[in-house]
Amino acid sequence: MIDAGHGGDDNGARLGSKLLEKDVTLALARKIKAELQERGIGVRLMRDGDITLTLEQRAEASNQERAAAYVAIHAGTPGGGVRIYTPAFAVESEAGAGKFLPWDNAQGNYLPLSRVIARGIAGELKRKDITAVMLGTALRPLNNINAPAIAIELAADPDNVQDLTDQKFQNTVAAAVAVGIAQVRAQLGGQE
Amino acid sequence: MIPRHFQIMIALLLAAILVSGVYILKITHKEQAKSLQRLEERPVAPPVAGKQEHIRVLVAYDEDRALRWRDANVSLPQERYLRAREVLRALLTQYLQNPSPHPLGKGAEIRDVYFINSETAVIDTSPQFADGHPSGILLEEMTICSLIETLNANVPGITRIKFIVDGHERETLAGHADLMSFYQSSAVHDLAKEFE
Repeated sequence: MIDAGHGGDDNGARLGSKLLEKDVTLALARKIKAELQERGIGVRLMRDGDITLTLEQRAEASNQERAAAYVAIHAGTPGGGVRIYTPAFAVESEAGAGKFLPWDNAQGNYLPLSRVIARGIAGELKRKDITAVMLGTALRPLNNINAPAIAIELAADPDNVQDLTDQKFQNTVAAAVAVGIAQVRAQLGGQE
Repeated sequence: MIPRHFQIMIALLLAAILVSGVYILKITHKEQAKSLQRLEERPVAPPVAGKQEHIRVLVAYDEDRALRWRDANVSLPQERYLRAREVLRALLTQYLQNPSPHPLGKGAEIRDVYFINSETAVIDTSPQFADGHPSGILLEEMTICSLIETLNANVPGITRIKFIVDGHERETLAGHADLMSFYQSSAVHDLAKEFE
């Protein structure tokens, strides 16, 4: 499940005078979808247009789809390259915790796998000479996702926000994300 | 029959009355907005009395995406909740100066800190704190980390922290960082290390 952050009434961050985060996230989400499909991986977009979705609706949709992985897309300042986030405040569930998980800690069973996916994507981005930083996050709704969940944030300094819409940059990031996911999928035995 | 010049004069007078009315309405609205703004910015509590103390605050620096400890001298009262509030206000003072290492919206303020029990604190901020906060995962996270770490460094024993805005729960700070959950101090401490 690829979730382009924000949308509709929620513009997300205002990047410079003209650019809105919701537009950057949708463009990148579409590119990642195409790259994943090219590699034979089934993919759904949380939104494929400018619609408003609450954070709870996003988590519900991903959980109902029984997504094998959830990737939230964001864009922001300051910085450069790509920041890859894993949930910092979920508590790893104990072995045998069962299927019933608190909503605020649905991520508990999947934290190790979320980190594996994040590392896979970071490694692939670095191979393509794109700065990739891994961080923990309190981003919603990652903790409510009942699957490995990460967030990817395209970053640019406030003076260079147009870099976020650079097609070459977006294509390279999309391909790296798809390769990273495909590699982890192959390592885990093709689970979809 | 009313003479033509008289008709023109009446029409001109009516037009003048209309224009004056619109103008008066406009400046009234402007003045109301100004006084409302002044009301929001005026201090709502008297300055606290207490011993001048040397504290450490964890300041966010947007430019190099880092959190760094800085020293500050603040009058701190003995009451725990007042102490917690003043420590956080000392941190916000750093952000509200010009130039700021981590700009926040005008009127951003820590209204109060409540203790549900000895280990759980609730930080109540002004609406401007959230409404005027720059949106972005990193920027919001740096704010949360710097506030919680500063609180923990100067008011020991707090293990869980929650944020409310103007007395109410809010989903996120500015579209990203979770404000619905309670933050565990230990987890925030680990996250803050990533920025040092």
